[in-house]
Amino acid sequence: MSDEVKIGVVSCSGEDCLGGTISRLATRKMLDEIRPDETVTICLPLFLAGGAEERGFAEAYPTLAVDGCDKLCAKRATEKYSGKVSDAFDVSSLIGKEAAESKPLSTRYLTEEHQEMVNKVAKEIRIRFENILSDYYKNAAQRIKESGNASNCGCGCTCGK
Amino acid sequence: MSSMSKKVKVIPCSGMGKVHGLVAREAALKVVSELCPADAETVCLAYIVTGDDEAKEKIEGAPCLTLDGCPKMCAAKNVELAGGIVKKGYRVVDIFKGHRGVKPGNATALTEEGWLLVDELADKVKENVLELGKEG
Repeated sequence: MSDEVKIGVVSCSGEDCLGGTISRLATRKMLDEIRPDETVTICLPLFLAGGAEERGFAEAYPTLAVDGCDKLCAKRATEKYSGKVSDAFDVSSLIGKEAAESKPLSTRYLTEEHQEMVNKVAKEIRIRFENILSDYYKNAAQRIKESGNASNCGCGCTCGK
Repeated sequence: MSSMSKKVKVIPCSGMGKVHGLVAREAALKVVSELCPADAETVCLAYIVTGDDEAKEKIEGAPCLTLDGCPKMCAAKNVELAGGIVKKGYRVVDIFKGHRGVKPGNATALTEEGWLLVDELADKVKENVLELGKEG
């Protein structure tokens, strides 16, 4: 991975309920406004329809799954086809199960109330995103420290044994 | 016994990266919510991707219309893998070909021009839903 760490945010974008619309829009907000240079995403169905590169997504990037309902399709599909996610949550935990499972909504009819839901979910994504990033750097520092220790054979040389 | 609805399944890719995915998603929502709610319904593509038995049961053997944003045809491929019968696979890129230079918006929000493309695609899908309904 390059020095510039990017975090994968994968939303379910579910078409069957409002939670899917909110998960999609909040993820787009990360990509467009909040962390555009550090966020990457992938179309979930590409895990099956795409190739090895797409299936390697969760190996290549620490990944946060954002699901619209408690079926947790984004998390489960990512882990089934690509790799373990670093974190995951279901938007119904923030906007309520009833709202999340209500009828799907076209972005043509978004109200201020829906926009507030998007902002709330985007805020949660940002918090979890920052935790993942922080963990990534801690782990990277630990690995460097360990590799430094491993190359110290005790005789004061730099032979790496 | 299967409890599968007889409605035609209209399934978009909802691609995250480009405006094409949003056009597919919005057209599908318009068909199932406004143009033919009695004859068509959608199923979350993400649910189909999980491979859950319950998700497969929803589309196995059912007539499906898929709406894909790009030539990777994720919706069509995933629906077929789950046992759905893809009667027609629409590609948003083909709709765009008839509107060179159009500025439809992005993967987050559509412009007025983008909504016109949604309406055009939704009308085509609606015709197909009604035809499939006649076939029974």
